[in-house]
Amino acid sequence: MDYIIAGFWKALELIFSGDAELWGIVGLSLRVSGSAIVIAALVMVPLFTFIGLRAFRGERVLSRVLNALMSMPSVVVGLLVSVCLSRRGPFAELQLMYTATAMIIAQVVLVSPLIACLTYELVKHRGREIQKLGQTLGASRMQSTFMVISELKSELFIYTVNGFSRAISEVGAVMMVGGNIKGHTRVITTTISMLNSMGDYAMAFALGMILIVISLIINSVLYTYKEKRDDV
Amino acid sequence: MEVRLEQVIKCDEKKQIFTDLSEIFVSGQITGLVGDNGAGKSTLLRLIAGLDLDYSGHIYYDGQPLTKPLYQQMTMVFQTPYLLKRSVYENIAYPLKLRHRPAAEIKEKTQAMIARLGIEKLAGQYAHRLSGGESQKVALARALIFEPDLVLLDEPMSGIDAASVSFMEQMIADYVQQHQKTVIMITHNARQAQELCHRVVHL
Repeated sequence: MDYIIAGFWKALELIFSGDAELWGIVGLSLRVSGSAIVIAALVMVPLFTFIGLRAFRGERVLSRVLNALMSMPSVVVGLLVSVCLSRRGPFAELQLMYTATAMIIAQVVLVSPLIACLTYELVKHRGREIQKLGQTLGASRMQSTFMVISELKSELFIYTVNGFSRAISEVGAVMMVGGNIKGHTRVITTTISMLNSMGDYAMAFALGMILIVISLIINSVLYTYKEKRDDV
Repeated sequence: MEVRLEQVIKCDEKKQIFTDLSEIFVSGQITGLVGDNGAGKSTLLRLIAGLDLDYSGHIYYDGQPLTKPLYQQMTMVFQTPYLLKRSVYENIAYPLKLRHRPAAEIKEKTQAMIARLGIEKLAGQYAHRLSGGESQKVALARALIFEPDLVLLDEPMSGIDAASVSFMEQMIADYVQQHQKTVIMITHNARQAQELCHRVVHL
C-alpha cells in the first residue's frame, strides 16, 4: 500500500514541478489527438452532411457499415495503418512509421467512422426536414446544406468533442504505429501502459491524473454547452 | 400563379392516394383543401411544392412544368413550423437574405413585418423558444415576406388560440387581396373554409 501512496505524492510533485518529460508527453498527446479530430471533423462533417441529405438505395447498408466501423477496435486500426506504413507497405516511401504523423493518421482512421456515423444519422433524420424547409424558402441546394450544418452545429460540435475523448484515451493504435519512443512518440496512454508493466507508478499516476483532468474539462465544456444550448 | 394538376396519380407502398386528380388553382384566390384524415391533403401540397416528385401525371405552374427557378416563387408553411435557431428578426429576414436582397430592403421589410405582427419586443429573442401561436405567426410572416406567387399552407392554424387564428386569417386574406397571389390551404375548420376561402376542394 505504501508504494501506492508514495507514487501518488511523487505524481503530484511531478505535475506541480513542471516536469519537462511529463508535460512533453501531455503536449504531444494533445497535439496528436487535436490534429486528428480537426482533420476528421473537417472531412467527415461536410462529406456525411452531403451524403445524408440525399436519398439513395444503399442507405441502410451504409448505416450498418458505419455503425460497425464505429466500434472497430483501436488495435485493428493500428494494425491496418502499420501495414500501410511499414517498410513493406504501400506507403513505405513516406517514412512515417514511428512518427507523430503516423499516430495522427491512425487516430484520424479511428475517429472518422464515429464522426461520420453520428453526422450521417443526425442529418438523415433531422437534416432532411431542415433541407425541405430551406427548399420552401427558396434556398439553393448549397444554401440548404449550409443551413443544415448551421442548424445542427451544436450536435456536430458535441460529436466532435466525443471523438476527441475517444482519440486521446486510446492506446492500441498509437502504440503500434508510434512505437512509444521516448521524447518522440510517447503519449499519455502509451506511457501509462509501459510504466505499469515496469512497476513505475509515480509518472503513471501523474499522467493518469492529467488524463482524468482532461476528461473532466472536456465533459465540463460539453455539459456547459448542452445547458447553454437547451436554454437557447 | 396558376397551378394546374392533370391526371395526377400518387401511390404509397400500400395504396393509391389519388387517382387521376385534375384541378386548377387560380391567382387571387384562397383555395381550401378539405377531407378526411389520410385523404392525401398534405401529400398533395408536398407534390405541388416539389418536395415529393414521385407521382404520375402533370403539374403545371403558369403552364410550365416545375423548374428550379420556380422554387424561388413558392413557399409552404407546415402544421408544426420549424423555426431556425436564430432570432425572430433573423427568421423573418431569412428568405430575403437567401435572395441576396439589399440590406436596407431587408431591414425595412423585416421591421415592417415585425411591427405588423406586434412582436417588436420579441424580435431579438430566439424564435424556437416562442409559444405555439407566436411560432405560427412568425412562420407565416417568414413565408410571406418575399411575396411568393404561390403559398401552400398545411393546417398552419391548428392548435393555436383564437386571437392568433383570427390574426393569421386576416394576414392571408390581405396578402391575396393586395398581391393577387395563389394560396392553397388545408383546413379542418368549416367556418374558416366558408369565410376565408374563395373556393373549397374536397379530397
